[in-house]
Amino acid sequence: MSGPLEVGGVRLKTPVMAASGTFGYGTEVPLCDRRLLGGMVSKGIFLEPRLGTPPPRIVETPSGMLNAIGLQGPGVEALIADYAPQWATWDFPVLVNINGETVEEYGDLAARLDGVPGVAGLEINISCPNVREGGMFFGNDPGSAAAVTEAVRRRTRLPVWVKLTPAVTDISEIARACEAAGADALSAINTFVGMSFDLRSRQPRLAFRTGGLSGPAIRPMAVYLAHRAAQAVSIPVVGIGGIMSAEDAVEFLLAGCRAVQVGTATFLDPNAIGKIVEGLRPYQLLLRPLD
Amino acid sequence: MYEVAAPLVSRREVARDMCVLGFQAAPIAQSVRAGQFVNLLLRPGPLLRRPFSVYRADGDVIEIVLKAVGDGTQRLLELTEGDLVSALGPLGRGFQLDAAMRHVTLVSGGLGVAPMPLAARDARALGLGVTWVHGARTRAELCSEADADHLRWATDDGSLGVHGSALDAVPLDDVGQVLACGPNRMLAAVATCWPEAQVAIETYMGCGTGVCLGCAVPRTSGFYDRACTEGPVYRADSIRWVGLPAHLHYRVAV
Repeated sequence: MSGPLEVGGVRLKTPVMAASGTFGYGTEVPLCDRRLLGGMVSKGIFLEPRLGTPPPRIVETPSGMLNAIGLQGPGVEALIADYAPQWATWDFPVLVNINGETVEEYGDLAARLDGVPGVAGLEINISCPNVREGGMFFGNDPGSAAAVTEAVRRRTRLPVWVKLTPAVTDISEIARACEAAGADALSAINTFVGMSFDLRSRQPRLAFRTGGLSGPAIRPMAVYLAHRAAQAVSIPVVGIGGIMSAEDAVEFLLAGCRAVQVGTATFLDPNAIGKIVEGLRPYQLLLRPLD
Repeated sequence: MYEVAAPLVSRREVARDMCVLGFQAAPIAQSVRAGQFVNLLLRPGPLLRRPFSVYRADGDVIEIVLKAVGDGTQRLLELTEGDLVSALGPLGRGFQLDAAMRHVTLVSGGLGVAPMPLAARDARALGLGVTWVHGARTRAELCSEADADHLRWATDDGSLGVHGSALDAVPLDDVGQVLACGPNRMLAAVATCWPEAQVAIETYMGCGTGVCLGCAVPRTSGFYDRACTEGPVYRADSIRWVGLPAHLHYRVAV
């Protein structure tokens, strides 16, 4: 269970990956035992550079944190020039999390990244809650989610994963729409939109006002939604949401996920993923399919 | 950068409600430079680490200085000797001392005292004279361990030293190299007086290692960078002060 496996067209070294936005471009995290990393998803990228949102960008909440980074990034050309050549030398796969404000932008990003050495696949972010014009709209509607997935699918030979938003009435409907449009796997789920107020200033604690909630606070909801998605489709589902330990990862695997992504845990323990992979070893028997 | 299981080894009060805690963390103590910080994780405790400037480093021990401003600092102050924290550090870019300058002026407001003992140590090691101007709201809140060749005090209420902020107490003659730490409001004022001063700023922080982009600092270049990696020490006139929260609020029980 802690060894290599194939998920949605990507050969993972172990079932535990680094989630987008929590591992930078893979060059930043120190003290992480990269031999145990299943793979990683890069920080979300747009075609053009993005400044990001003003501070404060993060606040801690009970068993979780809210973030509104605003997808700060250098744009796809800098990613291709500065990071992809390094990824090409690594022994674990790197997927690029792609973002757009229109269906065409997603398609253009897919075409630009197609065939770039070092890029093992694409993860479409249809669910980032922080960008006013963007993500949320696509992820909330099966038709839009399918349109983006199809636009990307048409313009790349790379494996295409779609990262789902939890803020939907019926996640199975969106999951089926993405599968039908050609997705190779689904990542479930992204952060929940949340808000927190400062009592003294009477203002939201985040400058952007709202942010994405992550961490253990969301885990039971994430397990449920990943389970619903996994039941709705035959492509693999990669579970995400507040995984801090091997036991948390096992919950997602029992819920029907083929692999998991770890995010917030890396912020407090740079080697969280290494420890989770080590911790999975005793669960091999438990996770063996029942006869 | 190291992650160390660090036991609490000492504790003392240096001003009203202001404590210095010492943790045994040899690799950090031996490599830390003035202005760098450690990110501490408490278990049980809050989800994220809490960043602290290193106040002193002696042998195997690092010290931090803190007040109870939120849940994390409250929990740290409740630790007893031998209790372990996970210390990650040293992190960030510290002060760059210029041996060609004859002396340094340290300007600290309140908890901004935090990086100054190390700065004074490193300055002395380079043969620089040290002037230290330390301000607080009132006499009881002044850190009793400020130590320099020339020491000046300032209090908002005039109970000791100059009646005003630390800035009002800085000598008008040749200040040499200015290193400052304190409320962001004070540092913005430092920037108008001494654009070349080095300021150690405070932000909310997620990982402390450069990945989360949570500790964004607005620069005059128009871009944001990371207090944990490019900072927390900056040239004063390189920060777009209006874009930086003037005061950090922490949630505490009323």
